[in-house]
Amino acid sequence: MENKNALRDMELVTGGPGTAGPGNIYRKLSFRNMKRSMKDYLVYMLTMILVTALMYTFNSLIFQNELENYFEVEDMMGMMIGLATFFIILIVAWLINYMVRFMLEKRSTEFGIYLLLGMKKRTIAGLYRRENLLLGVVSFLIGTGVGVLLQQVLMTVMFTMVRMEYHLHIFLNTGTVCMTAVCYAGCYFLALMRCKRKFRKMNIHALMDTKRRNEEIREKHERIKRILLPVSVLFILMFWKVFGRLSSTGETAVFLVALVITIYLFYLGLSAWIICYVRRGGKAVYRKQNLFLLRQFASKMRTMQFTMGTLTALFTLALMGTSVALMFSEYENSLLDEKFPFDVQIYSSDVEEDFAKEKEVIEEAANVSAYYSYHIYTDEKNGVNTWILTHLEAWGTMFRNEDGTPNEREIERVLRDESGDGTYYMYDTYMGLTDYNHLRGMLRYPAVSLGEGEYLVQVKSRLEEEVRKIGEGLEIKDAGGEDYLSCAGVCADPFSQDGHNGADYLVIVPDGVLGRMRPYYSELVVELEGEAPVGLQKKLEALLPEEDLNIIGHAAGDLCTGSDLIISTVEICMVRGNLIPQVKYMLAALIIPLFYIGLVFVCVAVTVLSVQQVSDAAKYRYRYDVLAKLGLCRNAIDRLILKQLAAYYLCPALLAALISGKMILFASDRFIMMTGVPVPVGGFFVRSVLLFFGVYFVYFVVTYVEFKRNVRNHIA
Amino acid sequence: MNDYIRICDVEKYYGNAAHVTKAVDRVSFQVQKGEFVGVMGPSGSGKTTLLNMLATIDRVTAGHIYYENTDITELSEDALSEFRKDNLGFVFQEYNLLDTLTIEENIILALALQEKPKKEILEACDGILKLLQIKDIRDKFPYQVSGGQKQRCACGRAMVNHPRLLLADEPTGALDSRSAQTLLETFTDLNRTMEATILMVTHDAFSASYCSRILFLKDGKIFHELVRGEKSRKVFLQEILDVLSLTGGVLTDGK
Repeated sequence: MENKNALRDMELVTGGPGTAGPGNIYRKLSFRNMKRSMKDYLVYMLTMILVTALMYTFNSLIFQNELENYFEVEDMMGMMIGLATFFIILIVAWLINYMVRFMLEKRSTEFGIYLLLGMKKRTIAGLYRRENLLLGVVSFLIGTGVGVLLQQVLMTVMFTMVRMEYHLHIFLNTGTVCMTAVCYAGCYFLALMRCKRKFRKMNIHALMDTKRRNEEIREKHERIKRILLPVSVLFILMFWKVFGRLSSTGETAVFLVALVITIYLFYLGLSAWIICYVRRGGKAVYRKQNLFLLRQFASKMRTMQFTMGTLTALFTLALMGTSVALMFSEYENSLLDEKFPFDVQIYSSDVEEDFAKEKEVIEEAANVSAYYSYHIYTDEKNGVNTWILTHLEAWGTMFRNEDGTPNEREIERVLRDESGDGTYYMYDTYMGLTDYNHLRGMLRYPAVSLGEGEYLVQVKSRLEEEVRKIGEGLEIKDAGGEDYLSCAGVCADPFSQDGHNGADYLVIVPDGVLGRMRPYYSELVVELEGEAPVGLQKKLEALLPEEDLNIIGHAAGDLCTGSDLIISTVEICMVRGNLIPQVKYMLAALIIPLFYIGLVFVCVAVTVLSVQQVSDAAKYRYRYDVLAKLGLCRNAIDRLILKQLAAYYLCPALLAALISGKMILFASDRFIMMTGVPVPVGGFFVRSVLLFFGVYFVYFVVTYVEFKRNVRNHIA
Repeated sequence: MNDYIRICDVEKYYGNAAHVTKAVDRVSFQVQKGEFVGVMGPSGSGKTTLLNMLATIDRVTAGHIYYENTDITELSEDALSEFRKDNLGFVFQEYNLLDTLTIEENIILALALQEKPKKEILEACDGILKLLQIKDIRDKFPYQVSGGQKQRCACGRAMVNHPRLLLADEPTGALDSRSAQTLLETFTDLNRTMEATILMVTHDAFSASYCSRILFLKDGKIFHELVRGEKSRKVFLQEILDVLSLTGGVLTDGK
């Protein structure tokens, strides 16, 4: 087909009727070839449009982010998008470079004919570059159009997420267009840089011969090579076993490098294994079309070995990125409301604090239905802290000696930590039953009762199971200081325990017991009528002394967060109506770029798979013609194509799922343990795999339809 | 001798109502079991179209083609595929071997598609490799062997299932004269030892001289027929050349 096209183009090059000057001819030729490439490489074209649209949409978060005025963390979003863009430029440049080389190979005969006609190599290289740039410009223009619409969708989603209303207004932002154009041009620059050199190296014979060389299958030392398959599988199994236990960065780095090498060698081993199986004459070889399928698959794995390895790596990264994004998204959806149960809550380390100024500010801005100020108490001991540090899964064996006893030195060190990023208060934290029940009343929880000799432990909901046996290890004396209290149970209702009502826990004791303790710090909680006004948080923070503000301008003071090591939402002043959207926005700055990277990586990788297959369908359609002549009916050929494509598509995806699976399960386990999101350990992995296969399936269907069409047209 | 294959008033038209091309125009003939029939004619005479219709890969516009009692013009797509699998073998100019399979595997695949047991597949494959003298290249890939060897492999693949009819379209077209001669001798051997019925389309008088009967086609019609009978190949070749010289000499257009 390409030869025919080249011959048809010959008229143009040699100056057929109606042509004027070589410049005009080359322009026409580039344009005509570009149109042809658009048709032949439809999947690539669609991916480039999608990538441009995504680039435009996400870049818009830097230039036309209408939410940035509401939150103080807009820099974070820009920074994260910038970081994501860096990786995306690299990967899209790889795709373009791959496609440029791929098309060059497919059209080698055509370029050979141009050379025979007397065109200079430089001219052909220029012509080819121009074609690719034209293709890029068309994708860019369509993609930007789609991006403008997609940007509105993203804005609507983000506004809904932060509980605000968004009015659609479609317009083209110059900054966003410029940045997208620069990113896009960067991709092309990186990709086309090496194209000229490739042309310079080629001669007519090499060009004409490229296709024939593609079909040569070299089989040497297959018996030795096949060992690589069990070795790779063993390494991956070992990876599953030891991944969670890797302790140093060095060990992890060595392991990851070995993993990357394993991915590449896996395909060499797999193809050698199949070749050996076929040569040995295994039973399955003699069953229907199996021989054809096995040989096709082995030969494809051999010639595509490096590409398949790279695709597996991309899929692995995409699955991991998506899983992490899903983790934070789940946190945002299921836990954020629990984190801020009170409308307003303010901490003060001063036990004499009456919160007068704060009350004044709140009253000015909103209608208050109730105030309640109280103290958190301490007995200046740390028995409960010690129990928590030595029993929670989050701390593992960090605070235990080898014999299981508490490591007093380490515990002392962490509790006395005055660096400001405190985990637990230096002493155990207590609350009186009256205060506790009052606060429960404000939260519409039922009151609890305690006998004179009893205490209750109030913990974060995720810790409920872990502290079930806390009563067996604590010694808390009663009001008289002579007898010990007994544990009446554990309560895990959401209770603002990221520093305000204790860090992780509070011990609730009968009021009388507080008599032998001292107030530790003061708290004020406020119930408002209706939603808190925008900006109340800032007004309250303005009352705080500067030393309480941290480097990003938030007031964390000396609050302790407990075992929330992944996301902690510690603030001296907490206005629920202001903080939830703000935290959601901050999390979005992490979630959105991760989804962005995941989506682009999957699309790029699966485009390479699709283009390879559709192009093979055109090149090797005679194979199916032969099968038809050997008596395979259309349906059987369709089924064969389906099996062939499924094997080809599933292989890198399954390997990626197997490798990323361990890392995702490990990360999920830690995330769930440290945040308490109500998802089973495998939940994030399953969800990201489903999302991944959703995109994958779309490309698979398009490829299957195109493949079948190419083959059917020929068999007729 | 009963008629093994009957072609009755077969027509094949291309184009639309405004412009109709008659590729094959009311052609009728019979092929007997074990015959080696050649079809000659200039380009565009309709010989490949005729072969394609016999091969069930193209449909007739009118007429019937009977393989014994089966009229293949009446069969559905799926039934045609089954028929092709059980009754026909193909050898083409471009070999059409599967490049990802070795020489031996190309033959095995044809047997595997027939769902035969492994033992039978291996025995049949061994036998044909031996018969066609390509046993020593059984593990080579098509790109590693010569054109003649490729074509013999294609013959092996076509014959291994003992088809009712072996169809060959310009099988020597891409071969040098020595390889062409070896291939034609192979055809003759297959015809004699395996009683293979062969229908071969060719331009080449030398190739045609190996046939037992030749049909000459022109503008979609049979205009002459030659039967070799007991004549030597040399005499038969001379007769073919005489027919060709009477009809314009060479079997290419415009010459």
